[in-house]
Amino acid sequence: MSLRRLSLVARADLAFHLRRPLTWILVVIVVLSVWMLASGFLRIQSGDSAVGGTKAWITSEFAVAQVTCFLVALLYSFFVAVAAGMAVIQDDERKVGEILHATPLTAWEYVFGKVAGILVCFLAVLVIHQLAAGIANHLLPNDKADEIRGPFSIAAYVIPTLAFGVPPILFLTFTTFAVGLRFRKPILVFVIPVAFLLGCAFFLWDWSPTWLSPKWNRVLMAIEPFGFRWLNETHLKVDRGVEFYNKASIPFDALFVWSRAAIVAIGAAALAAATRHFARTMRGTAGAKRARGIVAPPAAAPVLTRPLRDLAMRSGVPALLTGARDVARVELRELRNAPGLYLFVPLILLQTIGANWTDLGPFGTLLLATPGTLAVRMMNTLTLLVCLLLLFYTAESHQRERSTGFASIYDATPVRTGSILLGKSVANAVLAVVILVACFLGCVVVMLFQGKVPIRIGPFALVWGLLLFPTFLFWAGFVLAAASIARNRYATYGIGLIALIATGWVQAKGKMNWVFNWNLWSATTWTDMGPFELSRRALVMNRLFAVTAAVFFIAVAARFYGRREADPIRIVHAFRPRALWRTALSLAPWALVPTVLASALGVQVGRGYQSKAMEKKAHDYWKQNLATWKDAPQPEIVDVVLDLKLDPEKSSFHSKGTFRLSNHNDRPLKRFALTGSPFWSDVTWTLDGAECKPENRTGLYAFVPPAPIAPGDAVTVGFEFDGSVPKGTNKNGGGLEEFILPAGVVLTSFSSTFVPIVGYDETWGIEEDKNRYEPRVYPDDFYEGRTEAAFGSGSAFTARVTISGPEAYRYNSVGILESDKVENGTRTVVWSTDRKVRFFNVVAGKWAVKQGDGTAVYYNPSHTYNIDDMALALQGARTYYAQWFQPYPWKELKLSQFPGLATYAQGFPTNITFSESIGFLTREETTGNAAFSITAHEAAHQWWGNMVLPGKGPGGNLISEGMSHFSTILLIDQVKGLSPRIEFCKRIEERYGEFRQVDSEKAMVKIDGSKPGDTTVTYDKMGWVMWMLLQQMGRDEILRGLHDFQTAYGENPDHPVLQDLVAFLRPYAADPVAYDAFVKQWFFEVAVPEYALDKGAKAKDGAAWTATATVTNKGAATMPLVLAAVKGERFDDKGVATKDYADARETITLAKGETKTVTIRCSFEPERIVVDPDAVVLQLNRKNALVKL
Amino acid sequence: MLELRNLQKVYPGPVAALSGVSLEVPVGMFGLLGPNGAGKTTLMRIVAGLLEPTAGQVILDGEDVTEAPQKIWSRLGYLPQEFGFYPHLTGEAMLRHLLELKGVSSPQGMKKLVAGLLERVNLGFAAKRKVKAYSGGMRQRLGLAQAIAGNPRLIIVDEPTAGLDPEERFRFYRLLAELAAERIVILSTHIVEDVSVLCSRFAVIRAGKVVALISPAQARALIAGRIYQGRVDNPSDLEEVLRTRWVTQSILVEGRNQVRIFEPETGAPAGFAAVEATLEDAYFVLMRGDVPAEVLR
Repeated sequence: MSLRRLSLVARADLAFHLRRPLTWILVVIVVLSVWMLASGFLRIQSGDSAVGGTKAWITSEFAVAQVTCFLVALLYSFFVAVAAGMAVIQDDERKVGEILHATPLTAWEYVFGKVAGILVCFLAVLVIHQLAAGIANHLLPNDKADEIRGPFSIAAYVIPTLAFGVPPILFLTFTTFAVGLRFRKPILVFVIPVAFLLGCAFFLWDWSPTWLSPKWNRVLMAIEPFGFRWLNETHLKVDRGVEFYNKASIPFDALFVWSRAAIVAIGAAALAAATRHFARTMRGTAGAKRARGIVAPPAAAPVLTRPLRDLAMRSGVPALLTGARDVARVELRELRNAPGLYLFVPLILLQTIGANWTDLGPFGTLLLATPGTLAVRMMNTLTLLVCLLLLFYTAESHQRERSTGFASIYDATPVRTGSILLGKSVANAVLAVVILVACFLGCVVVMLFQGKVPIRIGPFALVWGLLLFPTFLFWAGFVLAAASIARNRYATYGIGLIALIATGWVQAKGKMNWVFNWNLWSATTWTDMGPFELSRRALVMNRLFAVTAAVFFIAVAARFYGRREADPIRIVHAFRPRALWRTALSLAPWALVPTVLASALGVQVGRGYQSKAMEKKAHDYWKQNLATWKDAPQPEIVDVVLDLKLDPEKSSFHSKGTFRLSNHNDRPLKRFALTGSPFWSDVTWTLDGAECKPENRTGLYAFVPPAPIAPGDAVTVGFEFDGSVPKGTNKNGGGLEEFILPAGVVLTSFSSTFVPIVGYDETWGIEEDKNRYEPRVYPDDFYEGRTEAAFGSGSAFTARVTISGPEAYRYNSVGILESDKVENGTRTVVWSTDRKVRFFNVVAGKWAVKQGDGTAVYYNPSHTYNIDDMALALQGARTYYAQWFQPYPWKELKLSQFPGLATYAQGFPTNITFSESIGFLTREETTGNAAFSITAHEAAHQWWGNMVLPGKGPGGNLISEGMSHFSTILLIDQVKGLSPRIEFCKRIEERYGEFRQVDSEKAMVKIDGSKPGDTTVTYDKMGWVMWMLLQQMGRDEILRGLHDFQTAYGENPDHPVLQDLVAFLRPYAADPVAYDAFVKQWFFEVAVPEYALDKGAKAKDGAAWTATATVTNKGAATMPLVLAAVKGERFDDKGVATKDYADARETITLAKGETKTVTIRCSFEPERIVVDPDAVVLQLNRKNALVKL
Repeated sequence: MLELRNLQKVYPGPVAALSGVSLEVPVGMFGLLGPNGAGKTTLMRIVAGLLEPTAGQVILDGEDVTEAPQKIWSRLGYLPQEFGFYPHLTGEAMLRHLLELKGVSSPQGMKKLVAGLLERVNLGFAAKRKVKAYSGGMRQRLGLAQAIAGNPRLIIVDEPTAGLDPEERFRFYRLLAELAAERIVILSTHIVEDVSVLCSRFAVIRAGKVVALISPAQARALIAGRIYQGRVDNPSDLEEVLRTRWVTQSILVEGRNQVRIFEPETGAPAGFAAVEATLEDAYFVLMRGDVPAEVLR
């Protein structure tokens, strides 16, 4: 090999790549990206988000590594693939091969030279990228600079570059070059970055279900080429604390180092194999196959032929559609021959099946796939894949005549330009159809595997036909226009990729709206109960805009399609104002309709409920009322009478009613406030029956009664108004918390949607970065004395709610059903409380009902999948919670389903509401308890949240949510058995480990819901801690204590927080000292154990065996711990105990950092030692706490 | 009639590929003769509507088609100098596709039409083979087939006989002659024999300008009686002749340098004898920029 010749090739290619616009487009995009990311948009999820709290730095090695992973994967991969994969193909098209390979230049010199040139170019881009990142991170003005910038360290940029930048660039360069060299087909080159993007972004980066074994997790880490999975799973997922991320160097392990080396080696091997093949064939293949391709002419052919006029030929201009048909036919033949399609189809199949089989819904449960949910769920993936494919195929199709040399004949035929464009577009549309069909087959496979949901084509046709196809038309038209104007395939790629990246960026920053959301990314929400009712008008207009804009782009493409090479001097003249004006006028008719549609859509958004105008109203509400009304004393509701008329078709309602408000303060109330809604109109008020005009302070109505309301006295406020929910359209799709739609109705008294709320609404007008204030810091003894309620009305009230609406609906509210009448197509129901409540709701739907003994489940008739389990849970809750905590005070416990436009469940008294994706569409695992557990949790809120309303302040909401989770553990244990209970405990333990924030996690008594990690503490940790407390205190003792706690705080104006609970339970503990130690560690400190086992060994000891291991507590909490030497699997797939299982146990206690050696005697040969086999000790990384023997 | 009025083409550089070419081409075969880089292909591409001229007009049968190339495409048969086909299509499918793009039809139907055209260019045996397996000459013949298909008013063939063996060339000559009887055929070539066989008139183009518009007989008459042929054995003598004379040809015949010169005034030099002037001699004389016009009669 001659280094001189190799370096000649390398220098030539480097010069070429440095000159080409595509390289500089990448540089610009990367520099812009790091500049924008320097604002702190993408940060490690760690640290304390409180003002003055320690934040994660954007300048740390971890942060730079994370950004490097994403940018290399999302940006570099395509540009590297185009540059490397097309290098040899381009030489073929330029026909330089014949000359080059007639020199002493060998195949290896040629290949290595070109690869070296490409690598130097892109590694230079990487260097520029990190330089720009350094400048942006450290020098650009940034108002958060003090918080998110650390000291400059060159290692923070060099190490991520070497570890996360260089290996994937090497791998991509080698593999795409090899593919281009071996197969000479552009589309195959593009398969690689598309496959990696799909595989990583939609699978490898975040798929990590709890059941995935550590071994397979490591395999996935090893094969993911960009290194992000390793970084995330090893270091980011379990929060190690912001100090660690900010200051530590990334500790690479052998897996990472070897896997990077292996990935590069695989790429190099592919390149070597392709080069060997090239070396063998570049000067002609020896072999019959090639020889067969040569066509031998006949021995003698007549020189004199019949005259041409005998053929009687006529020529003309083919009609538009005829020409298009002819073009499409040939294009389709080319597509059939292109192998890319045959690779993308299995790719999309795998992606569909993999992503949907493991899709998680609320509370980390697996989701059932219905046709509609699948169709919508796949939209993002299909959009990305098909748009990338259309970019490449359209550019290649546009280029085909030029690259084959056919253009000089083709462009001189009389076929219309419109026929050419139409024909090529139709052929590319077939490509999209094939991908959709493949995806549909994948969805069918998923549903067949599920075996529960019937397969229907309708939702797929609706979603993919009416929503997705316009996206493809728009994009194909755009790319066609770009290709026609640019007349260069690489410029077309650049324009297309820039458009995709820019769209993605705007989406990520939350600035997208209906007008510009051409790809409907994450804009649609499916509900089986009535698809796309929420934003239907905006959706239709958006899709019409996409289609008409596509027509405009095609007109632009036709206008600029270059069948004739333009004269350079005339091009200059074309930019004269007159020429430009003429061009604009010729295109104006095509732009008219999309412009009108976009404008109308913009007006819709501008008037909708997420518009700037609405934001201003909310801001004005906050600004005008915060100081005056936030802490002003208010009366409390003692009685509600409401007459609500609903019109789901129009999303409107008419509300008329009264609040009886009583002054429970110890001073007279001279004034009080009720907050209304901007969605109301024609509002009228009365006060004690007389017309009243309160001061309207941007939606807060300030009442001044004729005489102050004395303590204990009451007034009656009457209200009447019309309203719409939603009012107008939203900004960019998505869901809604409360709504009145044909699909269903859900309204709650938590917000002022259909009734006013008393006092100032602290949630309205708060914007995250502008005026969100941190919660009040309470003194440690804040809970002593009377504590006000955390939510709802402090005192319970009676309510009588009359609801009327179309006959087809059923209307549920709190209390008991007094009457249900139908007259003239209108149903009128009256609900009244049989016991006082603190909040109420109204929910309506076209339901079927499953009745139980004092329970009922109202559900969409097609969602029967989990009804039995949910009804079982509801019944169990009513039975056992009543035994354990308090008798259920109301007559009936209902559960009502609403459309999945919001994903929450709420435990209103007697009327629990569930989104359809919670419980109803939960996919049961084989040890199944998902639907059951969700229902059990929400049912528990009747006791924890209704009968006992938590107090306002830190530790309050744990009484509601945490105790409901604890109740769920008890109920699963009672009704389902040991295995499901263990699985549930493990699942919520995993969630706690994954979502806790080490730096900002406070003691449970201090949890106030203000930090991102507070939710998992409130639910999962509290549930676990109470479960451990049960082990510690004894079951009967704790249940007795909880029962008495319910009695004590049920009707109490003093609402309890966690400190009250632990203080209340202390007398029930048999060992107060142990109780105090437990409470101190788990309620007043932040300490969790984490166990590691090592040096596992077993030895025969006569007829028995001994198993030994060292156990270390890497965590902070001290707990008695059971270790078990086990043989076999304890439970089968269905959660039934197996006969082969055996275990022998020992109990130890390990303090923080302590190590002990444990010996366990067994009567059987043990296979491994595990910790806590019965899941009674909360710990981190349980999956790793075992050792094989 | 095809009229070219003052066609100019300037590329950035600036490079003047055409410097005001004006021609009138009637029905029949018209040749365009010139060396490589003279501007022939540029001129052909402008006439074919594939290249926009910097200035000038192209008028076909009284209609200005300069700004509306689609008007010429419906009446055009074009065989470019360099071209390719879709490699994965068979010859038959490729030709059929082209006939469909050109709107060509026949009472016998498309299939027979395609077969008939392929037979006329001697590609019937390879109709079912993919184009990527065709030799260079076979691709040229396929190109010819599409160029002569339909009923074009104007046929432009640019270097058509490149890659054809003598038999194929003869077949091609017959096809073009048949076509030229009723339509305008422009044959652009640097092979003088093609022009002498086929064309009643031809233009000589050099450095973007037409230097002669003439018939073959007129071209020969310009230099008749003033062409001399001789043998020069000595290399230095040969150099001297090449330097001092208007040489029209210098080839090796049986190992010896045979030279033909144009000597308008002094008669045959020593060692040279008068010979009959050929079109090639006339071409070389016309192509030389240093022969005064008054010398040519």
